[in-house]
This record gives sequence, structure tokens and C-alpha cells, in this order.
Amino acid sequence: MIPELGQLALTFALAFSIILAIVPLMGSFTANERALLVAKPLAMGMFVFTLLAFCALSWAFYHDDFTVLNVANNSSSVLPWYFKLTAVWGSHEGSMLMWVMILAAWTALVGQYSKGLPLLMQGRILGVMGLINIGFIAFSLFMSNPFERTLPFFPVEGSDLNPLLQDYGMIIHPPLLYMGYVGFAVSFAFAIAALIGGKFDSTWARWARPWTLAAWLFLTLGIMLGSWWAYKELGWGGWWFWDPVENASFMPWLVGTALIHSLAVTEKRGTFKSWTVLLALGAFSLSLLGAFLVRSGVLVSVHSFAADPERGVFLLIFLLIVIGGSLLLYASRMHSVRSQARYEIFSREVMLWGNNVFLLTATLVVLLGTLFPLVHKELGLGSISIGEPFFNQMFYYLNIPFALLLGLGPWVRWKQQKAAPLLKPMALIAVFSLILALGTMAATQTVAANLALLGLLLGAWVGVSAIMEVYQRLQQFGSITQGVAKLQASHYGMTIAHIGFAVMIVGIAMTLTYSEERDVRMEIGDRVVLAGYEFELQDVYKLNGPNYGGEAAEIDVRRVDGRYVTHLHAEKREYTIQRMVMTEAAIHARLSRDLYVSLGEALPGNAWAIRVYVKPFVRWIWLGGLLMSLGALIALLDKRYRRKTTTGGAAYA
Amino acid sequence: MRKTLFYVPLVLFLGLSLFLLSGLFSDPRERDAVMVGKPLPAFSLPDLMNPEQVWSPETLKGEAFLLNVWGIWCPTCNAELGYMSQLRNEQGVRIIGLYYVLPEDPMFGEVFDLAKLQVDVQSRLQAFGDPYQFNILDRQRRLSMDLGVSGAPEHFIVDAKGIVRAHHIGDINPQVWRAKLAPIYQQWAGKP
Repeated sequence: MIPELGQLALTFALAFSIILAIVPLMGSFTANERALLVAKPLAMGMFVFTLLAFCALSWAFYHDDFTVLNVANNSSSVLPWYFKLTAVWGSHEGSMLMWVMILAAWTALVGQYSKGLPLLMQGRILGVMGLINIGFIAFSLFMSNPFERTLPFFPVEGSDLNPLLQDYGMIIHPPLLYMGYVGFAVSFAFAIAALIGGKFDSTWARWARPWTLAAWLFLTLGIMLGSWWAYKELGWGGWWFWDPVENASFMPWLVGTALIHSLAVTEKRGTFKSWTVLLALGAFSLSLLGAFLVRSGVLVSVHSFAADPERGVFLLIFLLIVIGGSLLLYASRMHSVRSQARYEIFSREVMLWGNNVFLLTATLVVLLGTLFPLVHKELGLGSISIGEPFFNQMFYYLNIPFALLLGLGPWVRWKQQKAAPLLKPMALIAVFSLILALGTMAATQTVAANLALLGLLLGAWVGVSAIMEVYQRLQQFGSITQGVAKLQASHYGMTIAHIGFAVMIVGIAMTLTYSEERDVRMEIGDRVVLAGYEFELQDVYKLNGPNYGGEAAEIDVRRVDGRYVTHLHAEKREYTIQRMVMTEAAIHARLSRDLYVSLGEALPGNAWAIRVYVKPFVRWIWLGGLLMSLGALIALLDKRYRRKTTTGGAAYA
Repeated sequence: MRKTLFYVPLVLFLGLSLFLLSGLFSDPRERDAVMVGKPLPAFSLPDLMNPEQVWSPETLKGEAFLLNVWGIWCPTCNAELGYMSQLRNEQGVRIIGLYYVLPEDPMFGEVFDLAKLQVDVQSRLQAFGDPYQFNILDRQRRLSMDLGVSGAPEHFIVDAKGIVRAHHIGDINPQVWRAKLAPIYQQWAGKP
């Protein structure tokens, strides 16, 4: 009964989305105020019904209702209750429902927090959101119904959740990621609404900015969490794999980053308009492309759901309508828009233009690397694969000029900047970063000219520059204490995010250069020494979990001089229903290094294969991501996004 | 000029979607065999039933054949034995088995026992049909490795000179045989 109610709720949501897509949009062309006013309640209604549908599915999962096909395939009665609930989004159908629910939630949020927007804009934005909702709700309802029943012959036990997904990181990784992907739908809707209206000024950019920042914030957190989960759960200490689906999440992130910067120019200076609109369309288009790649089965990836060409065709048609339609609108409207503002070659505008060029080049690299094998094969040239070396090398070369630019950019003024006043602070930053980089190198490793030194130099350059820029900015307010309160939140946000980037570069470079690993055969009592740490296998015993068996190893870690460091507990779980073996790596994390042990196969003679890693600075990678998200959060809190606009509202037509 | 520039993103996207569309209808897991057009890798392996007989690429030459990588542990391989027997009996296709031995796990006290394997294979072939002229025993799985085998069953069409002409991953059923393999086999076997 409850699953049927869920399906009914989803059907109602579809009805709401159809009305939302038609009525306010029509109203915006006929200047019918009442038609525009229904957008908000319709958006709210649509959200409520998708939420009900989602709750109905969660209920079925919680109560082990194996008459629902999706529950039978992705859950089991022995699963702990919290994993039963996360199993809701462990499958294609369930995750699609969650996607729909989050999309409706964003729509409702836009409805609630757009009081400052002119009614006309409001109606158009919500109408476009409604259009996108139609596509996804219909996809969920007709192509991948999560409420399908197994009746009359239902299984008494489910086939369990994929063990890879039975992890705390997995509980929030997909929701955060989807919040990010779908959040870009808001920027997209803003851009379409502006294209329809044909007017792009700085107020438009100011409205779009907080929504873009919020989506980007969630996407950043989602990607970081996914990376951390892979590191912890896949048992071989990697944190980024250039897997097609990771790339699919990375592309909207890169374009979203470019969009945030481009929006700044449009808001502050009223230029880069066509560029900004294209990026807003691009970020969501790439999210859609990602959804297509994951759910259609055109690429092979650990993330893909079961391939089904029919679903793929539906999504592709949807892509053609949404992306193709928006790009057509863009082409037909945008060519007449011109920016008046003037700026010199050495100016903030050009710096941010450079930022966009690098970010888009990076996007292109990822896009080509991901899709080239497909294109190559479809052209009949045979199958090829593009892997880590290609991406790593490209990003290595892209990162150096990007980081150098990033250290300089925030110092440069709008319109025009004279070079002379910047020479002194830049030289100072360069000297500081040299000392900092060499100092860190000497303190943690030996000083050598390698990737790590380059990473430290670039990281220090970006970090020191960001901190000194804030310091100099604060001084301009008269006194530092006065300045701290006066400086805009978005400026702090920018600085923190830039420091986050610096931290991440350092983490990546140090981990890549100085990680040490070893595969050893160990009996109880055996010791192995790696990078100054001595690992001693103390005990291995049988595990007895709710839905898994397996083995656990107890390992003591000491410094070579005998100082006790920590005790590690690594597991190798065998999930009984799905017959899958999973490693639960034991990790001792410090800012300066991770100790990482994973338990492998049992070997003849009462011994086990054990893999030991020492990974310096690996935490910095995720710390950098967290700082970037924190920066976005602080920028979101900037007062100027909540100031009401009173002028220019009625002028939109 | 400026106006056309704004259509570039649209054109690029439409071009991309063409590839996505065709990608939908092809299997991403399908790989072109690197072996096609190359001679069989060097090997010298015993016959499964008669280990004194040693097979090498030289001894297989003279007539085109279908090399079938299989094992009794593989249900799909068992399932296709019937149809392949039919191919042998009705169309005279020369089929040679490459028997893939699973690695033994000493943890569970598994040891390689040729006599037992011969009995098991014999009874399986009696039950499902015997398409093979003979079986080559790939005990160390080295030849399978050299051929780029990723699972069982897999099939190679090898011509009379010992050159690999086709590589098919997966089972042979009437549809696959007629559409994909028969034309190649007939071309190189010189049979109608």
C-alpha cells in the first residue's frame, strides 16, 4: 500500500511540475500577474510530493518490504537500520528518486528565497526549473520506477546492499554530490530566464551568485567525500582514479569554479556577460552529461548502474532538449549583447579571464580524456583507453601557470593596474614562499629538486599571497581591528578557498612524491619497517558481523627507536549474501602523514598478505577541499546577497 | 561572423550527441582483439586426454579451426557444447579445445589431479555433447594469457597457416555463429 502511495505522490509531483513549467512561463509573456504568483506554491507542492514519494520508498526499505523489487535487490533484513535507509539511494532507481527529490527541493528553495527578485524573473526561473523537473520525474516514473513490485512471487530475503556502499562515507556522499549537480540547475534557470528577458546586468549576476556558490559548495564536499571514501574503502590507498564517473563530477566542478569567478566580473564590472551565461549553461549541461554517462552504460566504470539503452535514449533526448535548446536560445539571443566596460591588459578582469581559460582548458582535457575512447571506437578506429598518466601530465602542466596566476590575481585592481606598486609585495611573497617551501622540505624530508618541492613552492606562493593580500586589505581600513569587521565576508571566503587550493597542491605533490608502500607476507609476531615506522602483526582472528564474516588483524606501530605510536585494527570482510570481499583499511591519520594498513589474503603457513603504506601529507588533499567549501560557505553569508532589490524589477519584460 | 561564433557551442554539442547516440548501442566492454592478424603465440602443451601427445602451433597447421577456451567450471561453456557439437557434425567445423585450468587454492587443500579432471571432462562431454577434435591442456594458463583471454568461453578462428583471424568473447549461439563467425570461418576454411 505505502509503495503505491509513493508512486501516486510521484505522479502528483509530475502533474505539479507540468503546471509549473507551463503556467508561470506563459504568464511571463502575457504579463499575467496571477499566473506568475502560482509559481511559488506549485514549486512547494512539487517538493512536498517528491518528498512523500521518497519517504514511501524509505519506509519500504526500513520495513524490509521485499515485495518491492528495488528493496529486494538492494537490501536485506540483516542490514543495520542506517544502511537500510542509505540503501534507498544505492541503486539506479532509488538514486534517481533522490535526485528528483533534491531537484524539487532546490526549486522550492528558490521559490522561498527569491523575494528580492522581480515577479517576472521569479516566474521564469521557477518555470524553467519546472521544465527540468518534468524530465527527471518522468524518467523516474516511467523509465526506472523505484516502486515496482515483485508480486505475486516475492523473495523472503533481499540480495543485500553492495558492500562497497556499506560505509558511513557513502551515507552522505551521493546526497551531497546530487545537491551539487542539481544545484547548478538553479544557475542554469537564472541564465535561461535572463536569456528570455534579454537583459543581463550586475543585479542578475548578484542574484545568481549565492545559488552558484551553494551548488559548488555541495559539489566540492561531495567530491571530497567520495575521494576519502575510495581511499578508505578500496584498500589500496588511492584517492583519485580518473574514473569516467569521477571525471563526470569533476567537469561541472571545474566549470562551476570558472562560473563563480566569471560571475564576480559580471557583478562588479558588468562585462563577460556572454561568457558567464555560457558557463552557467555549461555547468548544468555537464552535470546532465555526467548523469547520462553514469546511467546509460556508454562507459565502463565502477560507478555505472546496469546498462539499459532505452534509459539512455530517454536521457539523450532529454539532453538534446535541455542542452540543445538552451544553447540555441543562447546563440540566438546573446550575439546582440555587448559589454561597454573598458579595461587594460593588466587588470583584474584579464586575471579572471586567465582563470577561466585555465579552468576551461582543464575541463576540455577531462572531457576529451573521458569521451575520446568512445569517439575513437565509434569512428571504427578500435578501442583505446586513456588513463592516469595522460590526466596527471596534463594537470601537472596546467597547474603551474594556474597557481602562479592565482597568487597574483587577487592583488590586481579592476580596470587597470600599474606594475610598479606590486613588485615589492610580490618579491616579498616569493622570498617567503621559498623559505617556507624549503623549510617544510627540510623538516619532513630531504631537500631535493622534485615534484614535492614544486608543489610546496606553488602552494606557498598561493597561500602566502592570499594571507598577505588580506593583511594589506585590512591595513587600508586604517587599523587592522577596524578592518577585520569591515572587510566583506565574500573576501574572506575567497581567501580561505584560495588557501584551500594551496593546501591541496601541497598535499597532492607531497603524497605523490613521498608515499611508500609495501606488500608483505606476515605471520603473527612478524615486523616490517617502512619510512621509519615499525609495524608488528599481533593477532589475526575471525570476524562475526551482522551480514559479514571475515578476518581482523591487530597491528602495533612503533617508531624505529621503539616509541609507541598507535594500534591499528584492519579488517577483511566477507559479505555473506553478496559473496563479496571488502577491505576495511586501518588508518592512523595525522596532518603530516597517514599510516595505512590493509589486510589481504591468507597465505599458506598461518600467514597473511598485508599491505602497508606511509603517505605523507595525504590529509592535506581533503583539508584543502574542506577549506574551499568553507570559503564558499563564508562567501554565501555575505550580507549583500540578502539586500533587497527595489529598483529595476518591473523593467524586465 | 560574430553571430556565427555564438552557434559554436550548439554545433559542438550536437556533434558530441551523435557519438553518444551511437555509443548507446554498442557494448563498452567489447574490445578489439589484439591477436587478430597475428600468428598464434609459441607454445608447447600436452593433450588433455593423452598427455604424451604434445601440441604446438606447427602441429595445428594445415586446416583452419575454431579454438575454444573453456572449462567444466564455466556454465556458459557447458551450455554451448551442444550447439558446437552440431557445428562439428553438420558443418564439419574443426573445433579444438583449450582447456583452462582454474588456479588451485592450497588453503582449501586443492591440488591438481589430472586423472580426476579427465574423468570429469569425459562425463561432461558425454552429457552435453563433444564438439572437440581434441583438447589442449593449459595447465599454467600461459597460452590463454598470451592470447589475451579475459574469461571463458572465448573463441578464436585460426586459419590453415596458424594466423588468428577472429576473436570472439562470450558464447557461440546460432545467431552469433551466423552473423559474426561463420563468414570468417568460411573465408579461411575455404568451405561453403
